[in-house]
Amino acid sequence: MPLLNEPILFKRVPTHPWGDPSERRYISYPEYVETGGYKALEYALAQEPKDIVELVKAAELRGRGGAGFPAGMKWGFLPPEDGERRYLAVNADESEPGTFKDQLLIQFDPQIIIEGIAICMHACRLDTAYFYIRGEYHRHREAFEKAIAEAYDNGVFGENSRLGKINDRWPDLFLHRGAGAYICGEETGLLESLEGKRGWPRIKPPFPAVAGAFGRPTIINNVETLAAVVPVVERGTEGPAWFKSMGVDRPEGAPPTVPASYGFKLYGISGHVNRPEVYEDELGIKLSYLIEHHAQGMRNGKKFKAAIPGGISMGILGTDQYDAELDFDIGKKYACLGLGTAGVVVMDEDTDMVAVLRNIVRFYAHESCGQCTPCREGCNWMYKMLCRIEEGDGTTRDLDLLLELASSVGSMPGTTICGLADGANWAVRTVVNKFWDEFESRVSKQKYVSLAVVGSA
Amino acid sequence: ERTDTPYLDEQLKQQLEQDVVARYPTRQAATLPVLHAMQHRIGWLPPQAIEEIADFLELEASTVLDTATFYEEFWLEPKGKYVFWICQSLSCEIMGEKSLTQTLKEKLGINVGETTPDGKFTLMKVECLGSCGTAPCALVNEVLHENLDVNDLDRILVELE
Ligand SMILES: NC(=O)C1=CN([C@@H]2O[C@H](COP(=O)(O)OP(=O)(O)OC[C@H]3O[C@@H](n4cnc5c(N)ncnc54)[C@H](O)[C@@H]3O)[C@@H](O)[C@H]2O)C=CC1
Ligand SMILES: Cc1cc2nc3c(=O)[nH]c(=O)nc-3n(C[C@H](O)[C@H](O)[C@H](O)COP(=O)(O)O)c2cc1C
Ligand code: SF4
Ligand code: FES
Repeated sequence: MPLLNEPILFKRVPTHPWGDPSERRYISYPEYVETGGYKALEYALAQEPKDIVELVKAAELRGRGGAGFPAGMKWGFLPPEDGERRYLAVNADESEPGTFKDQLLIQFDPQIIIEGIAICMHACRLDTAYFYIRGEYHRHREAFEKAIAEAYDNGVFGENSRLGKINDRWPDLFLHRGAGAYICGEETGLLESLEGKRGWPRIKPPFPAVAGAFGRPTIINNVETLAAVVPVVERGTEGPAWFKSMGVDRPEGAPPTVPASYGFKLYGISGHVNRPEVYEDELGIKLSYLIEHHAQGMRNGKKFKAAIPGGISMGILGTDQYDAELDFDIGKKYACLGLGTAGVVVMDEDTDMVAVLRNIVRFYAHESCGQCTPCREGCNWMYKMLCRIEEGDGTTRDLDLLLELASSVGSMPGTTICGLADGANWAVRTVVNKFWDEFESRVSKQKYVSLAVVGSA
Repeated sequence: ERTDTPYLDEQLKQQLEQDVVARYPTRQAATLPVLHAMQHRIGWLPPQAIEEIADFLELEASTVLDTATFYEEFWLEPKGKYVFWICQSLSCEIMGEKSLTQTLKEKLGINVGETTPDGKFTLMKVECLGSCGTAPCALVNEVLHENLDVNDLDRILVELE
């Protein structure tokens, strides 16, 4: 099995097997520089901006926020400069249940993110960056504020920044605090929220790269995506080949337009395992390997039952999918939506899948922004049905209705604005289909055998 | 809650103008940070504060209200001195959230969404706090408590007494 020889994104964040998480602490600007930091920015500043975009394109680095869209390609969609403002919005909203990877970088090694931000601003000619961080990340916000101040003091941003003027302005980086709304992680919901409005997603296109914050061209990237740019650029022209020596190639015979799953990745693992944590490894490791090797196996010697591959929006991997390879192509192979955020939630044999689905659907019912009728009404309706089924008052017809509703909420193109509804659809369809017997025995009272309640902890 | 002295006094205005409004190309974009600053100061957002913020940002009060009501972290009614936010999302529920909530309800004698009569504690449930690896967890005001079990609740409550 592949295993990184050394930590890359977690170079300064002690993590098993290379370090002890109890030794994690805030890495200051000077310490970051002493350990090789800001070499990548130095390299980038000596190159033409467009060459850096090409470098990131060549590495085929795909977005780490969940959708896996190639970062270099997104950067390449920006229109030509016109002298007016252009923005970077960093997505640090991290609200997808099961996802807790970005917070470690934000809290302990914020300079790697800031260096990535500076490289992106130089490469894409963006003068102002906003770091949109979810409201509930308090200690993370404090750490990042401190890191921003250190970066200003050391000439990364502000007057006389080493980036020089961009669009005739000195570059700035500001923290913008969210206020507790999952939908503000969706990039256009984030932009609305940044503009001081309710976080209602916008209809795409236009994509933010063309018309984003304040109507101007805007790049939106996840925290981990920007951090991953740093080690690639640091290696200059060797960067892309080095990056692509890790992870998984595109399927054999596939044209180069099909993106592969290259590089290293932060995997969060939580639930019924012995050592829940964020681990760094190559893309494409097996779920069984993540559980057994990294997370030290199932808790209390229990058997594996199911896992969410990367945030609840991705649907579920069933008991027989224990060896699934965690790469961006997981969806096609294992009938789920995709790798998502690689925030894996593991469930053991005692877990009640009806309760799990009720929990998941409650999340969508609660967090739907209410703009689109199928999403708003459908999620609430499914939640009520699941509560009823959980209490033993469901009927077989309810299961069919549930599947029908899920499809109408999420998969009819053009009926909903954003991806939240899709997530709800995939979660419902995959959990019900992969655990059909359990749902069926729950609705036909004769056969119903009580399972231990979820959360037997 | 109506006072003759404004909540948004000259000094705070000046500070917000410099440190916050200046960061954005529109005044409206300062809405979230200004609401945060105000709530931090007063503990919640009374109607008068919303009107003053609207004035300051050159917006209609209804526009500011529309934004404020969308976000779970802005409170248009006072809450207890200590607000418990128990995470109820998947990792936390499968790791034992239900017994935490049940125990807190009994200890505080209130339901989710309520405040104790002495105004000290409010009990809330939230979705994923982004700390699933240390589930179950809860925020108490701005402090995150991780790997919670029922005994920890006693300790936390005693510390807050
Ligand atoms: N990290 C977290 O906490 C969460 C992550 N997610 C993830 O988000 C994913 C969905 O995200 P979306 O943004 O809806 O996906 P998307 O596929 O619509 O877009 C992905 C990115 O590519 C850009 N893009 C796509 N086509 C483009 C084009 N033609 N021109 C310019 N830019 C283009 C978009 O602007 C966006 O930045 C889900 O798969 C889920 O995994 C969902 C919830 C929370
Ligand atoms: C409902 C919803 C919530 C999202 N929440 C987040 C989030 O919290 N963090 C994040 O990085 N991306 C989130 N995304 C994905 C963003 O829309 C966007 O694809 C991402 O920030 C782009 O960055 P990347 O290309 O670097 O991955 C969410 C998408 C949806 C549909
Ligand atoms: S799909 Fe749901 S969350 Fe997304 S914009 Fe529509 S109502 Fe809002
Ligand atoms: S599910 Fe509770 S912190 Fe993520």
